[in-house]
Parts: sequence; C-alpha cells; structure tokens
Amino acid sequence: MAATLETVPAIERRLAALRLGDGGTRLRTNVMTHIAWVPTEWVEAAEDVLAGLAARHPSRTIVLFPQSDGDGLEGDVESESFAMSEGLTICTDTIRIRLHGTSAEHPTSVVEPLLISDLPVFLRWRGVPPFDGSAFEELTGVADRLIVDSTEWPDLPKPYARLAEIFERVAVSDIAWARTSRWRSMLASLWPAIGKVERIKVTGTEAQAHLLAGWLSSRLRKPIGLEHELSDKLVGVELDGRPAPFPPGNPPLPADLLSDELDKVSRDPVYEAAVLASV
Amino acid sequence: MVIFGASGDLTKRKLFPALYSLAARQLLPEKFGVVGVARTEESDDEFRERMKAAVQEFGRDDFREEVWQGLADGMHYVAGTADDGDEVFKHIDDALAGLDRDRGTGGNRVYYLAVPPSAFETIVEGIGKHRPSEGWTRLIVEKPFGHDLQSAQELNALLHRHFDETEIFRIDHYLGKETVQNMLAPRFANGIFEPIWNRQFIDHIQITVAETLGIEGRADYYEHAGAIRDIFQNHLLQLIALTAMEPPIDFTADSIRNEKVKVLKAMHTPGPKHVVRGQYGRGYIEGQEVPGYREEEGVDPSSMTETFVAAKLFVDNWRWADTPIYVRAGKRLARRETTIAIHFKRAPHPPFEEAAAEGLRPNVLLIHIQPDEGVSLAIGAKVPGQGLQIRTVHMDFLYGGAFRTDLPEAYERLLVDCMRGDASLFTREDEVIEQWQLVDAIVAFWRRDRPTFPNYAAGTWGPPSSDELLGRDGRAWRRH
Repeated sequence: MAATLETVPAIERRLAALRLGDGGTRLRTNVMTHIAWVPTEWVEAAEDVLAGLAARHPSRTIVLFPQSDGDGLEGDVESESFAMSEGLTICTDTIRIRLHGTSAEHPTSVVEPLLISDLPVFLRWRGVPPFDGSAFEELTGVADRLIVDSTEWPDLPKPYARLAEIFERVAVSDIAWARTSRWRSMLASLWPAIGKVERIKVTGTEAQAHLLAGWLSSRLRKPIGLEHELSDKLVGVELDGRPAPFPPGNPPLPADLLSDELDKVSRDPVYEAAVLASV
Repeated sequence: MVIFGASGDLTKRKLFPALYSLAARQLLPEKFGVVGVARTEESDDEFRERMKAAVQEFGRDDFREEVWQGLADGMHYVAGTADDGDEVFKHIDDALAGLDRDRGTGGNRVYYLAVPPSAFETIVEGIGKHRPSEGWTRLIVEKPFGHDLQSAQELNALLHRHFDETEIFRIDHYLGKETVQNMLAPRFANGIFEPIWNRQFIDHIQITVAETLGIEGRADYYEHAGAIRDIFQNHLLQLIALTAMEPPIDFTADSIRNEKVKVLKAMHTPGPKHVVRGQYGRGYIEGQEVPGYREEEGVDPSSMTETFVAAKLFVDNWRWADTPIYVRAGKRLARRETTIAIHFKRAPHPPFEEAAAEGLRPNVLLIHIQPDEGVSLAIGAKVPGQGLQIRTVHMDFLYGGAFRTDLPEAYERLLVDCMRGDASLFTREDEVIEQWQLVDAIVAFWRRDRPTFPNYAAGTWGPPSSDELLGRDGRAWRRH
C-alpha cells in the first residue's frame, strides 16, 4: 500500500503521477467533482454506493472522513479503470482524506485545490448536516449541488425547515425524494380524481411520508392530512382510506438513485415546494 | 558564469539545480565554468559541497556523481562584496582567467545578479570596468527591476553606461515556463484558434496567478513590493501581452518583443473602480490556521501593503476593443494556480429547450501554467440516453502526458537561452517602462485612499470587492 499523503501538494503530486503513469493509453475523463462527506457511522454504506458509481459518472471523487481526534490530514489516491465499448478504457480518480482537528472544521481549504476547474461540484452529505457548522457552510459554498438522503435524518420533519433555508444558496437533491418518484408518477396519473383527496397514509420511511404529503399538498395547494406507518421502504399509499395502485417496475438501487441525482444541475422547484409544505 | 549572490536562496534552490539538470542532459557548453561571489567566507571546496547538497535537495533529476563532478571541476568561489572595491573584482578576474585557461571559456561571460537591487550599482560599475577585451558579455538581472518608473529608468541608465541593450537579460522566470511559451503555439501553429482570437468571438479573458503560500519570511522585500510590484508589474502584464499580442513576423527576440510592447502601450490605465486591492487576515490553508499578513514576522502590524490585486483591463486596439481582461493575483488564496482562461461568447441561438441546456456553460479555453502545465477546452456535449440534455465536458491536454518527458524548469531554459544570446523570453527596456507606467498610475490613486485591511481571510479567493468587479458586468470569476 502506498504511503499516506499528509499534505495537499503531496496528493496533487500523486494525482499527477497517476496521470503520467498510465502511459497515456487510458482515457482519463471527468464530468464533475464529486465530494462525499462521510462521518464514521456512514463509512460502510458510502463505500458500497461509490463502488457502483464511477463507471456511470466519470468524476474525480473526493471522500472526506471527518475525525474527532488528532490533527492534520491523511490522504490516499487511487485510480480505477473501466472497460467501455470498442476497446476504450476510461479511468477515474478517487481521493480519500481523513480530516483531523481544524481540517475537519475547515475542509474547503483542503478540498478546493483538488477540484477540477470549470466542472460542476456535487456534494453528497451523509447523515443530517450540521446546518450551523462551519464545515457544512463552507462546502455548500463551493458545491453546485448538495445531495442528501433525508431517510438518514432523525426528528423529521423539523430538519426540513433548516434545509429550506439553504435553497437560495445551493441546489438540493434528496435521495429520499428520488425514492418516491415511481409513486408520484402513479399518483399524478390519478388526476383529476386525486384533486379531491384530503388525507394520505404512507407506509414507508418517515422521510417518504413527509415528502409525499408535502408534495401532494403543494401540488393541490391545500393542506393534506398525513398518517404514517413505519416501514424501511415505501410499500403502500392510501388516499382518503383507499389503497392507491402499486406502481409498476422495481425500486431503484442506491447507486442508481445517487447516479440519477448527479445528472441534474439545476434547482428542483417541485422538491423545494414539497419540503416547504411538509414543515 | 559569474553569480553574484551565490550564498542566497535563488542560487541554492533554482540556479544550481538548473545548471545540474542542464549538465545531466549535456545542454551546457563544454567550455563552461562558474564563479560564485558572496559575502560569506568559504573555500572553493566548501562552495562545491554546499551546492552539491542544494542540487541533491532541490534538483529534479536523480543525482549522479559523475555529472556533478564535471560541473564541480569548473566551480570557484570568491568571498566579498562589491563594496570591498576593486579588490573583489580582481579576485573574480583571476578566477575567470583561470577558467579561460583551463576550460577554454574564451572571455565569454554571463553575469547573474542574484542580489537585492541596492547592490546593483556597485556590481554593474565593477563589471563594466573589468569587461574582458575578447568574447561576449551578458548580464542577467533578476526582478524586481526597479520599484517604480523613475527607479527603473535610473537602473536602465546605469546598465546602459556599460552594457548594450542586447547584452542585458531582464529575467522573469514565468516566461521560461513551457506553457507560457506554448501560448504562442496554439495561436500561431494552429489554423483554428487565430481566426477566433478576437473581440468578435471572445467575451472576456481571466488571468489568475494565485498562491496559497504567505510571504515565507520575506517581509523586508514584500512590505515594499506588495502584490502589484511582486506579480502584477511583471508576470501578469507579461501574460496579458503574450495572450493579446499580434502574430509576430518571425520568432526572433525583437519580433516577439515588438508585438508584446504594442499590447502594453495599448493598455489604458484602469480607473480606481477597476482595480481592487486586498490584504489577508487569519484563515485556513490545508485545514491549518495561518496568521494574517500583519501578524507575519517582520511585517508592520498596521501595514497597508496589499497581498492581493485584481483589475479589469482593456487593450485598446482593433482586435481587443471593449473586451475586458480580468486579472487577479494574490497570496494565501484558496488554491495554487496560474491560468489564462479565454471565455468565448455563448452560442448565438442554441436550438435546445432551456431545460436541456441548463448544464451548459460557454466554451472556455483554459491554459494551465501551474501546477499542471497543459491546455483544456470546455465544450458542451449531449448526455447519453433518452431525450436531449446538454452538459459541459472537458477535453484535456497535459504536457507530461502527451510528450512523455519531464518539462524543463524555467531557469534551465532561460540560462541556456542567455548563453545562446536568445533574448526572446527576457523583458526588453521598453516593456519594463510601459509596465511601470501602468503600475505607477494605479499606485498614484491608491495613495489617495485608505482601505480597511485585512479584507479577506487566508484560504479564500480575495476580498468581496474582487467578485463585485466582475459582478457589475454580469460575470463571475471561474470558481475553481
């Protein structure tokens, strides 16, 4: 295993060496910089998702692991190659950095030198963001899009109010919202009858329940009562006590959900309205 | 080659590592020797040992004893300063006569002034009096070349008392960088760029010279220079000149410099609203807290020296009229980069739905000068899959990747050019004068107001007024 890199210039040198070391035979291509903020409790889940991502979204991925102890940073860099059609191989870089002490509080000063010029920056934040924290404030300042999964958040819908405060600052994607996509399409197909609905019951995660109710309320421009039955995935919706039809197809995989969000670059006004209506 | 200032940082970090790399590639003349001159008392052997350690520490090549020995055999040291009077020049003459005799250097001399400007006068007078009767003589002068127009003119007058303009090589090491030189290749060796290199196709140009470092113990120098004299007066204005110049009729030194000076002459003085200055306060670099400029050792705690400068400049000629060139340079910024970004105008009528083109940004040709020398072009491409969605992607060209060779350090190229008598990459007298005229005009209106310093945190992209400079025109600095 290569030695740990303790400075940003050392990481930059390793990146440059990897670029020169592949003999120019592999196409190194990027469409964005993808930053992932991964507190310790999310490490395993984050690595699983990243594993399926690079081939679909060739990007420079910077995974940040904030640590509560020590000082300075520990980084490593690896390149991954993917065989594409017609013998073409593309290659992407993943930089993993453990941030200790002040570098965990001020991560932008570590990340900014590593961003790829002129390409969008996506920030995946695992867990509930510390909305008042310097790290969150700084990183959303350099990102074009913040991606969260509010399924990971406790005490819903309270944190949605804090989330709504940053909509003017950075475009936001929510994977919990993406998971409701099939259901929203199905519910929309019930128009105009759905216009008379007063109450919704959602059997799914707390995030899905609040977002679906918020969505329905913002689309119909009227309050909608919410009843929630907890389940680890979205398995049923009732409208005014009557079960809604089950949408066709299979639920998407976690890597697919994140991948879809990485295709979006602008604000999602329908999601923002749903969040505002849910609080 | 006679190096005045042989005990200094430049000699240790740049000049000897460059000479060693040239020797390793057999790019030094066979008949070559070095005389180091500095105040420190030491013998030839001690000088050789010190430089050997410097090459091992700062050189870009693996150290090979036989290469070093070839260089070291021709190295001599003279202790003293020009203030010691004629005596020190007699010792230098003796050492040079020895090299002429032993290594056949034939009276050809390169004098390198790696000393503070205050020492120039006595050294130049001494060299002038001791010029050999045979061979050629060239003088390399390090920046800063004066601290304002008047001092630069006085320095020129001093140099011209003993040297012809063709013998004076004013060094700006940025110009020795491969990509700076290659600015000329994309434009003039390719048919596709030059026709669009003008106000009709280019919306604006952004030039960034950003450092994450602070002043690194050079408070004495920096307190007097500031960002405008340290970077703007030389590197930045030279980068503008190379970017905006007309095609030279050939690649000789004077043809290139004639075109550069026309650009400098065509730049009009920016008004006070078009220049922004800043000074860094405390902040974070690489996750570590760093002190503000006024807290740096040797800096006046109420210093008004600027560590950041940004400006909106215009080159008033047929090619560039009304095309803004935004420049910024500073210390303790968010990342280390030197780039020239050519922002082309938007496509006049993209036939896509608005939503399809949300991810599309105007084309940018980005010339990276450091850290990774290369060129990239941002273009819009269709996202694969159903429907039509456009997104910006990059086409990259990295020097090291394409040519499979290490790039020479700037000083290597410049030292060889000087020995060959090629002054293309050195600054001519009239360029220096034009550069100082512009800087003096800016500094003159700075004297009339007193900004609130510090006005940006270390590790950020400068003061908010720098963003407003472009924001007023509906533009923004490249973000990363």
